[in-house]
Amino acid sequence: MKIRIIKCAVLCASLGLLSFMWLLPPVKVYMIGDSTMCLYTARQFPINGWGMPFANYFDASVTIDNRARGGRSTRTFLAEDRWRPIADSLQPGDYVLIQFGHNDEGELPKYADRHTDVPDYKTNLIKFITETRAKKGIPILITPVSRRNFDKDGKAKETHVEYTKAVFETGAEYHVLVIDLDKKSRELYQQMGPERSKLLFMELDSAEHPNYPVGRHDNTHFNEYGARKMAEIVINDMKEQHLPLADRLVKGVNKLNISPQAK
Amino acid sequence: MIVKIQLYKYGRLALILPVVVMFMSFLWLPGNITVYLAGDSTMANKEVKAYPETGWGMPFNAFFDSTVTVNNKAKNGRSTQSFINEGLWKSITDNLKTGDYVLIQFGHNDEVPTKANATTETQFRENLLRFITEARAAQAIPVLITPVARRKFDKDGKVQDTHTVYSAIVRKLAAEQNVPLIDLDKESQALLQKFGPEDSKMLFNYLSPGENQNYPGGMADDTHFSELGARKMAEIVLTDIRSLKLELANRIVISHFGIK
Repeated sequence: MKIRIIKCAVLCASLGLLSFMWLLPPVKVYMIGDSTMCLYTARQFPINGWGMPFANYFDASVTIDNRARGGRSTRTFLAEDRWRPIADSLQPGDYVLIQFGHNDEGELPKYADRHTDVPDYKTNLIKFITETRAKKGIPILITPVSRRNFDKDGKAKETHVEYTKAVFETGAEYHVLVIDLDKKSRELYQQMGPERSKLLFMELDSAEHPNYPVGRHDNTHFNEYGARKMAEIVINDMKEQHLPLADRLVKGVNKLNISPQAK
Repeated sequence: MIVKIQLYKYGRLALILPVVVMFMSFLWLPGNITVYLAGDSTMANKEVKAYPETGWGMPFNAFFDSTVTVNNKAKNGRSTQSFINEGLWKSITDNLKTGDYVLIQFGHNDEVPTKANATTETQFRENLLRFITEARAAQAIPVLITPVARRKFDKDGKVQDTHTVYSAIVRKLAAEQNVPLIDLDKESQALLQKFGPEDSKMLFNYLSPGENQNYPGGMADDTHFSELGARKMAEIVLTDIRSLKLELANRIVISHFGIK
């Protein structure tokens, strides 16, 4: 009897241990970028950075630390000392997801406070890459998510030409995985078309949402729906490129069920 | 001597006056209230694993100033009867205070006879009447909401009524009992019509296979909302709170965001 209890206890303990082993060792995913990626408060809803829904799709071994900030270019992110604390706390195996460009490319002289020339933009990306690697972390480059901009023939236009090219060049030179969010988001806008694609963005009538009493017409910032679509693009691209981080995605349990009644 | 007395007098006044003013400012400010949401899956908070399925009570939360706490008691699968049987209704009445609101939206499960917790038309009406009576007994304000529409179009692209009988019961009861009514069924149908058969899928939890990690096989759900649909439904409810001139409308957040 006693032996049986001990046997049972040992079995239970090893099962408990196994369940921990199934979960990969913990990693942290830092997100650095601009307003299209960052966190927002309830007082700013329904604006969402794509980093917000992105955090919902990983298992318990992953901690997402979204440090992106609105209005920041690579240069101002560094100048405000936002990068150093991340570099200091990086552990081996941690990820750094890097998406800048919207503010770096801000035209002079209006955006002189944030503008970064392409060569400096590259230098800054390289700093993020090398300092991440110095800590045995894994940098991932993401091209800046496209703005919604259609020409008169209803064709979605490229909105970050030079800066996206700079991301690819840096990625190739330093052998960093690049997620082409710019292209894939633009393809989604194209597929949806000029009118329907507005549903992804902060396109609000006045009096529609009390947080935006005069409404808003914005071709850069996403609502909760658009942010999720962008997060889906990034996640699916990570899977396609077999990034090990994709092994830590949740295993979806919801089965396709056509037109269910209310649960 | 006179000077001393005057100083004493005014000195006391100087002390008392701010206290009185502060006290009065509290009287002028509306007190804190709770808005309880009683309903089913179309209104409920969701688990992360169900995301992007969203109940309209979730975005509704962001509409009010700091005097309002939204307590969303809505739960997947509940009818008026199971909401009562499981003690969910009691969890509201136990805490109801003067000036609180109870927003009541049922029907999706009540009206499906094959469901174990379905209610007859009479039962549905009686349960809603009970919610009204008990909310009012606690000096709270009940608001009836017709069940939000399902996505159903006929072959000509015309949106179809999906809660005909049970929505009518809610409307009739609201009139009889003089309860504020939000006709979400009717108004959400109008929104679905505006979006049309194809685009209205964006309001619901429609996902293609491989699109979303939580739904590997995809999803085509004509009842439960996406984030976008949930927010649009919440916006309809808010618009009606304004047009009904409920006191709650004075507590809608006043924002400086978006003013450029």
